[in-house]
Amino acid sequence: MKRDEPEMLDLLAAEYALGTLRGAARRSFAQRRERDPFVDRRVRAWEDRFASLIWRLVPVAPSPAIWTAIERRVGSAPRARWRALPAAIAAAAVLGLGWLLWQQLQPGAPQATAVVASEAGAALWRVALAADGDYIEVDTVGDVRFPDERSRELWALPANTAPVSLGLMPASGRVRLVLDDDQRAALALAANVAVSDEPKGGSPTGAPTGPVLYVAALART
Amino acid sequence: MAESAGPESEPEIARLLAACARQDRQAFQRLYERASPQLLACLLHILRSRAMAEDALQDVFVQVWGRAGQFESGRGSAWGWLIAIARYRAIDLQRREKCLTTEPYAEIDEIPGDDEPQEAIVGLGQRATAALTNCLGALQPRQRECILLAYQGGLSHSGVAAEIGEPLGSVKSWIRRGLAALKRCLES
Repeated sequence: MKRDEPEMLDLLAAEYALGTLRGAARRSFAQRRERDPFVDRRVRAWEDRFASLIWRLVPVAPSPAIWTAIERRVGSAPRARWRALPAAIAAAAVLGLGWLLWQQLQPGAPQATAVVASEAGAALWRVALAADGDYIEVDTVGDVRFPDERSRELWALPANTAPVSLGLMPASGRVRLVLDDDQRAALALAANVAVSDEPKGGSPTGAPTGPVLYVAALART
Repeated sequence: MAESAGPESEPEIARLLAACARQDRQAFQRLYERASPQLLACLLHILRSRAMAEDALQDVFVQVWGRAGQFESGRGSAWGWLIAIARYRAIDLQRREKCLTTEPYAEIDEIPGDDEPQEAIVGLGQRATAALTNCLGALQPRQRECILLAYQGGLSHSGVAAEIGEPLGSVKSWIRRGLAALKRCLES
């Protein structure tokens, strides 16, 4: 068949990899690739040739919720092992449940942390974004003092957009600030967090009203 | 989230894929951290909707986890394998959702032609990138433009034709001849 001449086949492989081979032709070429290692090699060669074009694109960090969703979809136990040990499925299920419960009790390493420090460099609070991105924990680690009638408010500073409030800082001890989708999205795009001086209860406007007292870099872990 | 990886991460990405094939979940998470920003950029260029691109990113990584055993490092690059999965998924979704907007592809970088300086690209230190860029640069401008639009925007022949306002027949022939010339150049 003329179509099978190597030259012709290679150009079909190129159009498949480029994405311009569409419809029924695309589907039948994909099947052919599965069956025929020669065709597969031609397609792989073109995929690799074109791949370097993506270094021209600026990388974009996904929202934290995406990884959580992927983990849910791939399941929490190694499937191959379950298949290999059918007799142990019940036991494994019990272990799996135990593991899940354990996971919930052990939230794991935070995905990002920041240390808010005074101008003199003394650490005041440690801010940690939970591994699943659902909440922030703020620990008072230094000598924090502010007037009773004022609050200290924490903000995410996403690149190119307005600060997003994350909640109020504790005067002592630890607080957990549960995040909504907007806050999670802002944190995903933020390189820094800030703390501002606000009336008691926090900014009445949704934007910082008092001076920004501290800015701290978010270190992704 | 870890810093996103560049082309120099190829050996690391290949190792992580091999570990995923052994069902190593930590390696899978590391792979996600390293590769997802670049793959999301690629998906965004094709789907042009953050929500759709992030959904597609999930599909891509679920596929990667399931198919990591099919990746063989001797038969091509790990990045090439990942990017292909992402692009094919986006092209699939794009066809189903008919989500194309009419925004122009103005943000796509120009590839410099023969007469323009190449230092910036060669400076990346990546031979494959430089070879592709040089060979794209040697194509006729219309051929180069059509191939880049098709690749980065995930466009079909008719999509490219609509984008540049030229007849479908001309676009098909530019792409076909451009690919043949690209192949000769890359193999020489």
